[in-house]
Amino acid sequence: MEKRDTLWGLFQKKNISRRDFLKTCVALTSMMGLSTELLPQVIEAAEKKPLPPVIWLHGHECTGCDETFIRSQSPLASDLVLNMIALEYMDVLAATAGEQLEHHLEETMKQYSGQYLLIFEGAVPEAENGIYCMVGGKPIIETLKRVAKDAAAIIENGSCAAWGGIQAARPNPTKSVSVSDVISGKPIIKVPGCPPIPEVLTGTIMHYVLFGQLPPVDNQGRPKQFFGNRIHDTCYRRPFFDSGMFVEKFDDMASKAGWCLYKVGCRGPEAYNSCGNMRWWNGMSYPIQSGAPCVACAGKNFWDNDPFYERLPNIPMPNTIVNADKVGAVLAGVTTAGVVAHGIASYVQHKQHEAKAEKEQQGNDQNKPERGQNE
Amino acid sequence: MKHIVVDPINRIEGHLRVEIKVDEATGKVEDALSSGTAWRGIELVLKGRDPRDAWLFAQRICGVCTTVHALGCLRAVEDALGIEIPKNANYIRNIIAASQMIHDHIVHFYHLHALDWVSPVAALKADPAATAALQNTVLEKYSLKFEGPVSFDTSAYAKDFPKATTAYFREIQNKIKAIVESGQLGIFAGHYWDHPDYNVLPPEAHLMAVSHYLNMLDRQRDLVYSHLVFGGKNPHPHYIVGGMPCSISMNDMNAPVNTERLALVGTSVNLGIDLVNNFYIPDLLAIGDLFVKAGYVDGGGLAGQRVLSFGDFPEEKYNGVANGDYFKNLLVNSSGVVENFGQGVAKATFYPLEGKDLTDPNVLAEGVEHSWYNYPEAGKDLHPWSGVTSPQYTGPKEGTKTNWKYLDETGKYSWIKTPKWNGKMAEVGPLAKYIVVYTKVRQGLIQQPTWAEKLIVDQIDAVSKLLNLPPETWMPTTVGRTAIRGLDAQLSAYINKYFFDKLINNIKAGDTTVANTAKWDPATWPKEAKGVGLHEAPRGGLSHWVTIKDGKIDNYQAIVPSTWNACPRDDKSGHGAYEASMMETKVKIAEKPLEILRVLHSFDPCLACATHLFDKEGKEITVVRTDPYL
Repeated sequence: MEKRDTLWGLFQKKNISRRDFLKTCVALTSMMGLSTELLPQVIEAAEKKPLPPVIWLHGHECTGCDETFIRSQSPLASDLVLNMIALEYMDVLAATAGEQLEHHLEETMKQYSGQYLLIFEGAVPEAENGIYCMVGGKPIIETLKRVAKDAAAIIENGSCAAWGGIQAARPNPTKSVSVSDVISGKPIIKVPGCPPIPEVLTGTIMHYVLFGQLPPVDNQGRPKQFFGNRIHDTCYRRPFFDSGMFVEKFDDMASKAGWCLYKVGCRGPEAYNSCGNMRWWNGMSYPIQSGAPCVACAGKNFWDNDPFYERLPNIPMPNTIVNADKVGAVLAGVTTAGVVAHGIASYVQHKQHEAKAEKEQQGNDQNKPERGQNE
Repeated sequence: MKHIVVDPINRIEGHLRVEIKVDEATGKVEDALSSGTAWRGIELVLKGRDPRDAWLFAQRICGVCTTVHALGCLRAVEDALGIEIPKNANYIRNIIAASQMIHDHIVHFYHLHALDWVSPVAALKADPAATAALQNTVLEKYSLKFEGPVSFDTSAYAKDFPKATTAYFREIQNKIKAIVESGQLGIFAGHYWDHPDYNVLPPEAHLMAVSHYLNMLDRQRDLVYSHLVFGGKNPHPHYIVGGMPCSISMNDMNAPVNTERLALVGTSVNLGIDLVNNFYIPDLLAIGDLFVKAGYVDGGGLAGQRVLSFGDFPEEKYNGVANGDYFKNLLVNSSGVVENFGQGVAKATFYPLEGKDLTDPNVLAEGVEHSWYNYPEAGKDLHPWSGVTSPQYTGPKEGTKTNWKYLDETGKYSWIKTPKWNGKMAEVGPLAKYIVVYTKVRQGLIQQPTWAEKLIVDQIDAVSKLLNLPPETWMPTTVGRTAIRGLDAQLSAYINKYFFDKLINNIKAGDTTVANTAKWDPATWPKEAKGVGLHEAPRGGLSHWVTIKDGKIDNYQAIVPSTWNACPRDDKSGHGAYEASMMETKVKIAEKPLEILRVLHSFDPCLACATHLFDKEGKEITVVRTDPYL
């Protein structure tokens, strides 16, 4: 344990003042989206919590989630990797390869048994005993099970790890599944997205570093602070939806004016993610802002919710079914009433969605992993 | 003879294993085997989908060279359906591709390849003051002062330069020291830092390079603002068939693209030029020069024998790929095959590869002799439009199906197929592109080179002068492959600026169209269609092949750069590029095969790309419930 350092310890080693350390804690508190009341906890965490060792494994994936990791601006990937976590195993960045790398994995698991964080990126192919993804001459599913056993907590990084992702889309030739489909009895959290927004991924890791546990999760096991709202409810184009002003075809006058993309397929109404509020790269853009309909890339099995340019089914409203054309026709005249009506519709829909998901979870999730502890 | 397995290969995309047999007395690699050890079946997933969605799926082949498979796919679908994209969409796609090239090359050099040449441990011995002095020398001696065409000069001065002060290098060195002393080396752990090749460079060069590793890690994101502005995110920005979704308007407050958005892209375009010219090129040439002077000119393999490229950056609109129109106004017309460049450019032989060559099964085909697939007719290679794949996993030579000791070089040993040009193996990549253009210009096959083709020739000549070696000596080597990638980044930085300026000029002329939606409705499509999409991606020539039937995808194949390079051997045509290059590399210490990592990394391997599967016979398709609210 004496080998593991605290954030405060690192500041002291670098001769950085206590004042600067506290300023950093304030910045971290706001970056994590936490209220200022929690500042003392952040300071305490940064003073006392040792740096957690991290083992980062890859299954069936495209490495886009590593790329998103290094795109993070707050925190910077360099600060994370060199100061806040000890990234002991990650073949994408590791200096060494082959036997030496595999040997180091074994050593890390032994030395930090029960203490390391496992970040798993990619899906887990189950078909034919896992031969469709071999790493170090062994199926990745075996390595996952072995490494997960003594992990303190697990992050399912990206939609592939969280839901199975693209290779699990029909007909799922390799029988790919999520990490939590094969691992249970561990604190485990889903950070979906194809890829996740950089700061959503690093924010989740950061939370774990500062507080020593996974952040609070929703009923699908995702961090609430990043997946608590639908993109539809945080989208700057929402007023156009409410007013019935839609893009009818790409590059029409409405596309130029930035109206709602619902009718060209936008999945915003069913997508839970931070694209609307945080946006990508600290507010720079997100697909809808660039004129592209959202495909709900953080959603479960979103790949099979195609074709992507066909609009979502009718919007359920209290006691009736109204589609976007009717909403548009009605609301063009009565905008204020429409906003209220749609607000209710969204709320009801959200509740139905949560109720249904919870019911399913209670029904068949007895062997599922423990979700975050702050629930 | 020692049989060495390196699995997993690190600092790459995807899952790669190599096995080598080394004569320990001489260090000669007698045999080398390269195996892609995973497949995901994305082409099978694509079957039956809407061709307008295909780019989203294809894009997920790879997230490191993100966007390139989307582009290859869009071009294939548009070729099949006869869709011509508007001028602005062509410019914007070129900007996205050029900025991807710069980003990909920089991240490869500093974060995936650098640690084969430099060591943080060696950096501890450096004198910070001497490192600052070295930094100044490197900037003076190893910069390449080339410029591209500029019509809007929006950068007053180069904003990003390496820091060259003693205090800065001392700070970095202290940090490295703290990490080493903590015993938690993280990503630097477990490596053979005592390998003699880490003594080729002076300690100060190690410290300088490690500092830039960190600088570039913090800066790389800012190189691809174009993906954010035009495509909404990165990795995996958004497109549409027929053009781009990012409408342009100077009259609407919520327009996806307006002046402010363009200015953001412009900043990123300028940054690309600064980082490449002030960091990447000087670092690369300084390190390369010292390694070449120390005698490291091995690792050539196929490069001097046969290279292949497709060419890219259509300057203006084109109305098809398979019909040859794509090739008529390429800014970098590297299409073709060059044999025997290793004997000098005068003796090299050029073969064209465009238009009908692409559709000829005798010219382009894939084989599965040593791949874990079965073909209906044994020994008969298939053109990608009629590609068939039925998996046939046979396990290793020694060990079990789920616990390998050694793979079977005499049988099947990889999930990668073996692509061939006229029945022969070829290397692809920036080096291949540069060899083809250099040969075409020097042999007079290109009479009036574009500014970009001329720049390629000038860059090669400048580096030949610096190293005091002819191109055929330094280019087809490990160092050469790595050096050319840096030159390609410089070229791409200017191409990025060139198309950005074209976009501005076209908007200025009153054209804001970004999409052609005339054939958006599937009712306008032919009952059956097939198309090919080409892209000269960061790792080399990429081709996507699609057949469409009744408005759905009927067959999908991609022959990607790493398929050409990482493929298993063929009993008639010999070894693929990885295997051939390893066999031309001396290994000093068999258990610490640093030279093998270095030569493999010089290709920038991308394995998820290379392995693909499509079962044309079509397995039973499972219907998945798609309740949109769950």
